[in-house]
Amino acid sequence: MTSIARDTSWPEISFEERIGTAEFRIHERAHIVVDGDTCRGCSTRECVVACPANLFVPTSDGGILFNYENCFECGTCYMVCNKEGAISWSYPEGGFGIVFHRT
Amino acid sequence: MSDADVIVVGAGPAGSCAAIAAARAGRRVILIERGPFPGSKNMYGGVVYPRILDELVPRWWETAPIQRWVVRRSTMVLSETGALTVDYRSNAWGEPPYNGATAYRPDFDEWLSRQAVAAGAQLVTSTTVTGLLRDASGRINGVRTDRPDGDLSASMVIACDGVNSFLAKEAGLYTATDPANFTLGVKETLALPKHVIDERFGVRDDQGVDIEILGGTSGVNGGGFVYTNLDTIALGAVLKLPKLAAQKKRPEEIIATLKAHPAIAPLIEGAEVKEYSAHVIPEAGYSMMPTMVTDGMVVAGDAAALCLAAGIWLEGVNFAMASGMYAGEVAAAAVARNDVSAKSLTAYTDKLNATFVLRDHKKLRKVPGLVLSDRVQQKYPAFVTSVVERVFRVDNPQPKPGLRRIVREERKRAGIKLSQLIRDGWTGLRGFG
Amino acid sequence: MTVVACLKWVTPRADDDDRFAGISAADQSALEFALQSAQPGEDVVAVCAGPVGAERALRDAVACGVTRAVRIDLDPRASSSAVASAIASVVTEARLVWCGDYSLDRGTGSMPGFLAARLGIGQALGLIDVTIAHDAMTVVRRLDGARREIVRVSGPAVLSVEGSTARLRRASLRGVLAADTATIDVVTGPSSVVDTVDEKPFRPRARALAAPAGASALDRVRSLTDAGSVTARSETVVLDPPAAAARIVSTLREWGYLG
Repeated sequence: MTSIARDTSWPEISFEERIGTAEFRIHERAHIVVDGDTCRGCSTRECVVACPANLFVPTSDGGILFNYENCFECGTCYMVCNKEGAISWSYPEGGFGIVFHRT
Repeated sequence: MSDADVIVVGAGPAGSCAAIAAARAGRRVILIERGPFPGSKNMYGGVVYPRILDELVPRWWETAPIQRWVVRRSTMVLSETGALTVDYRSNAWGEPPYNGATAYRPDFDEWLSRQAVAAGAQLVTSTTVTGLLRDASGRINGVRTDRPDGDLSASMVIACDGVNSFLAKEAGLYTATDPANFTLGVKETLALPKHVIDERFGVRDDQGVDIEILGGTSGVNGGGFVYTNLDTIALGAVLKLPKLAAQKKRPEEIIATLKAHPAIAPLIEGAEVKEYSAHVIPEAGYSMMPTMVTDGMVVAGDAAALCLAAGIWLEGVNFAMASGMYAGEVAAAAVARNDVSAKSLTAYTDKLNATFVLRDHKKLRKVPGLVLSDRVQQKYPAFVTSVVERVFRVDNPQPKPGLRRIVREERKRAGIKLSQLIRDGWTGLRGFG
Repeated sequence: MTVVACLKWVTPRADDDDRFAGISAADQSALEFALQSAQPGEDVVAVCAGPVGAERALRDAVACGVTRAVRIDLDPRASSSAVASAIASVVTEARLVWCGDYSLDRGTGSMPGFLAARLGIGQALGLIDVTIAHDAMTVVRRLDGARREIVRVSGPAVLSVEGSTARLRRASLRGVLAADTATIDVVTGPSSVVDTVDEKPFRPRARALAAPAGASALDRVRSLTDAGSVTARSETVVLDPPAAAARIVSTLREWGYLG
């Protein structure tokens, strides 16, 4: 008889599913602007690791692709970034951006 | 005539309490919130201690949108596979006048803002404050918003604009932003049927559990938490920013590892992720606080770094509500005597110094640093759990080893010097004393 | 005369939590066009048939500049025809009535048509472009098969617009502050307007299709999907770009996709 080990793990959801659980009211204007030239010269890339919404994506040409749409507006990126002026950070227009439900 | 006596920026717990206090004192108050409704931008670990509301909202527990009353408080130390839990239970905390409670911030903050509106404050939502206005002498006398025709004048401003506190920074109240002072909180709201939560956590009705976790954060300095809501569990990690960036581990991976820990996994098995969220926490406490007052403005709540992250005590909303209330009272009095200079507003700092708001922070000022130190984070969880593991392991026919021998051997195995252990113990004792 | 914007209060969450409710992008476009199309001295009225929570949408409309806001207290389950009747009863001397093309919850898009019938005025529905001029407006309707219809609207009419047609202006701070205490007229709608009490989520009615004909399985699948049949036409040609473009246009015209 085969014994079936009780599986206590569960399928981890994909990042897209994870971020899809949050509501974002997206404004057409980006509230965070990343300076591509500064990022090209950055080797540490703290933002890529730390951003909880995974909005900073390294590109093959050594730059950083940035999406503002699914931003939690937490401030992690500009705090961990040690390149002066690489990230211009502000809040989205009033009424837009992240809307938490059960947090 | 100015548009208001007092402008409160941010309708979180600090802002709403400031607005209640100032409006009750007869001042014209405008409370500005950038989200579509108060609380929509707010997220936290999950427990609020509303005792301070007794003054502002008598019998608050009858109307506040509470999920569960915390009757079990656990502190858990996790090694790779082991877990040591200290668990205290008091069902009395589940009855009036209560102690801590779990609540969703979009619910709680919105409820609190309605108390401010009932007190006479005017709430303006979906409006982001983008800067401060000053008179010819440099005194702050209003705010600029992102709406057309969006300047608003007032006798003074109370900045409750949260952890990023752009207003306090613009006013020059912070010297610099050191990422080492901040942690990132990431959290999953996990759905399970109420009866399953009741059974797994050993509670009934509206009783709830608060579990604070040391270790289990994949080598990134910080901690974890598990709180019960009515039909969801809040599970998350708090991660020191520079360490997170340096460890090359993504926040959601750290949560996944925590969820898979043998002591955590059975609690949340089969739960569905309902909402993922993130927020930054001003973790360093007293050492990172800004100057609290300037001409025409005071700072309260997270914007003033009034968040207590001292190991077994993790509190923020109560400090926000208290500082907001004192700010509102002081602002109302300052406006009434027509003197909103920094000197006049030091009554606010005095009030903070005289109450738990700064007394707790001062008393525990060494604790946040100790708790987030590399030794406490990287070495002690394994040390403590392996000591306990050996104490309770019955290795017959071997006789039981002496406790002192176990501690010595495990301390050496964990690479902790005796002098360091004594020093940290002393810092801890003094810090918590 | 008045210009009217009809707004529908939609609660996306199952618990009907008003904090997450609002009006659709299409209704926001409708409100913007109402504000833009009003002539000097003309009233702009925002109407919403919905619960008390919907007054927030009306206050937002007041903040944006409407001169009057009316809430019709109506059961949220009321049919499109009942909503149209209720709105028609409060809208008088309407020159233009702007609506979203369809609502986010039920989404049948039938209310504007019913409303035009009740008011006895013209209609131009499903607009994707609107040009407002002093005397008459030129609007573009989206038709089936990617066709477009350009309509000149000069008399009183109900107009329904898609969500992408206009971005609602941002209310000024003064407007928002003043709207807080603005009067919202509340009209009690007819009480028995719910045709069927059905708490199940709305689903479009199933359509009965004839069983596929054909000798082989492949033929039956083809008849179901139209693949390879006469209605699915394709043609491969090799031409230089200008000639190819001309050929595409002429072919689309021949097949009836262009007017």
